[in-house]
Amino acid sequence: MNNQTKAQFIAVASITSELSAVMVIAKEISLAAANAKAIAFRAGDKAKGFQPITDFINELAKETIERVDTINKLAILLYQVTVTEFRKTLSFHRFELVVKMSGSAVYADSMLGPLEEAKNEMMDCRRQFKRDVALLLAQLEAVMHHARAARVIAANSRIEASQAGEYLQSLQTVAESVDNAAHTIHDNVQRCRMALSLFRNS
Amino acid sequence: MKSTKIYEGSHQWIMFGRDENKPNYIVDSNQYIVRTQKRCLLLDPGGFELFAPMMAAVLHHAPVEQITDLFASHQDPDVISSLSLWDQALTNAKLHAPEIWEGFLRHYGCESIEYVPIPDNGGTIKLDSLELQIIPAHYLHSSGNFHIYDPQAKILMSGDVGAALEAPGAPMFVDKFDAHTEKMRYFHQRWMPSNQAKRAWIERVRNLDIDILAPQHGRIFKGDDVKRFLDWFDALQVGIAV
Ligand SMILES: [Fe+2]
Ligand SMILES: [Fe+2]
Repeated sequence: MNNQTKAQFIAVASITSELSAVMVIAKEISLAAANAKAIAFRAGDKAKGFQPITDFINELAKETIERVDTINKLAILLYQVTVTEFRKTLSFHRFELVVKMSGSAVYADSMLGPLEEAKNEMMDCRRQFKRDVALLLAQLEAVMHHARAARVIAANSRIEASQAGEYLQSLQTVAESVDNAAHTIHDNVQRCRMALSLFRNS
Repeated sequence: MKSTKIYEGSHQWIMFGRDENKPNYIVDSNQYIVRTQKRCLLLDPGGFELFAPMMAAVLHHAPVEQITDLFASHQDPDVISSLSLWDQALTNAKLHAPEIWEGFLRHYGCESIEYVPIPDNGGTIKLDSLELQIIPAHYLHSSGNFHIYDPQAKILMSGDVGAALEAPGAPMFVDKFDAHTEKMRYFHQRWMPSNQAKRAWIERVRNLDIDILAPQHGRIFKGDDVKRFLDWFDALQVGIAV
């Protein structure tokens, strides 16, 4: 296995694991949003500004979960392409060896067709891999965008929480957990993108 | 890869083996081809590592597009783990292999090659006007196992039966039978599981007119050594590991 292939396998495996962590956190956010909603409801007028924010957080968490789902499916495809590319590359190199070893054989030339075919299939896989990587990067970009938005909302939530009297403590905790979660998602997704961006132009 | 013509008539049998470039950690194996006018059959084409030298050697006898048939006597890696490479190199080929191993052998990768499942009672392989018989040899050593008999050339390709694990560069043919049994004894006692299966096979094979017994490892038996082998095998207790 050459280094490029190894790196591809590692990249695909690492994004799969990062993404499963993102999924867990996105679910936590959606739970925090439900929690905040309940508190804001009890706080009544004191947390008026907080209520639309909880809806927004919930919406954001849901979208993130859906998108990560899509990304996961893409990652599985990417894994399959990587496996196929690995096999096609292996065959291509073995076919090259046949051509090298069969130098004087009467029918040596008949191997050139399969060699060419194997090369084309290998190149097709490489192109496919790059296309899938570009798709995945775009989807990851969208998740990061969501995470950034969530952090802005968390900051607003803190301000709103400060006017919620005796509910200040619990609402602030909610805002903080949303902020932390969004931060972690941002970092995880950033790592995925870095792992993949190596292959965008390779 | 060395090649030896073992039959020349209206068609040819060629044996390949004793590959000098073979890594030491893999067992040496004999591959055979049957070459008719427009077609070529590979018998036990060999392991993954052997694909390139084997294909290069076959190209001295047939172009890729005339390699139309592969036969796997059983599912072992030394027999057919090269399948995925043949699968990508050959454009129009069939793999004749035991029916019970189909789902297993496909793990090696078999997409473009047509898998022709051999039922338990055997069958035939037709190559141009030549008809080869597929002889059941179950439990010798694999539970789904076949040999190929060519009534015209009087050759029985006997898979792991008659095999010997020898030092590199061993001669192609058995010369001193008694000395050779020492190289076969443990292999047959340990790899062959069933005395009952062995008896059934010997009975079947004694009815065939055989000049050459061609195993997948070690040396080939010719003339009287074929009968000597059958007698020796008949008297041998197998399945010793239990
Ligand atoms: Fe075997
Ligand atoms: Fe074998």
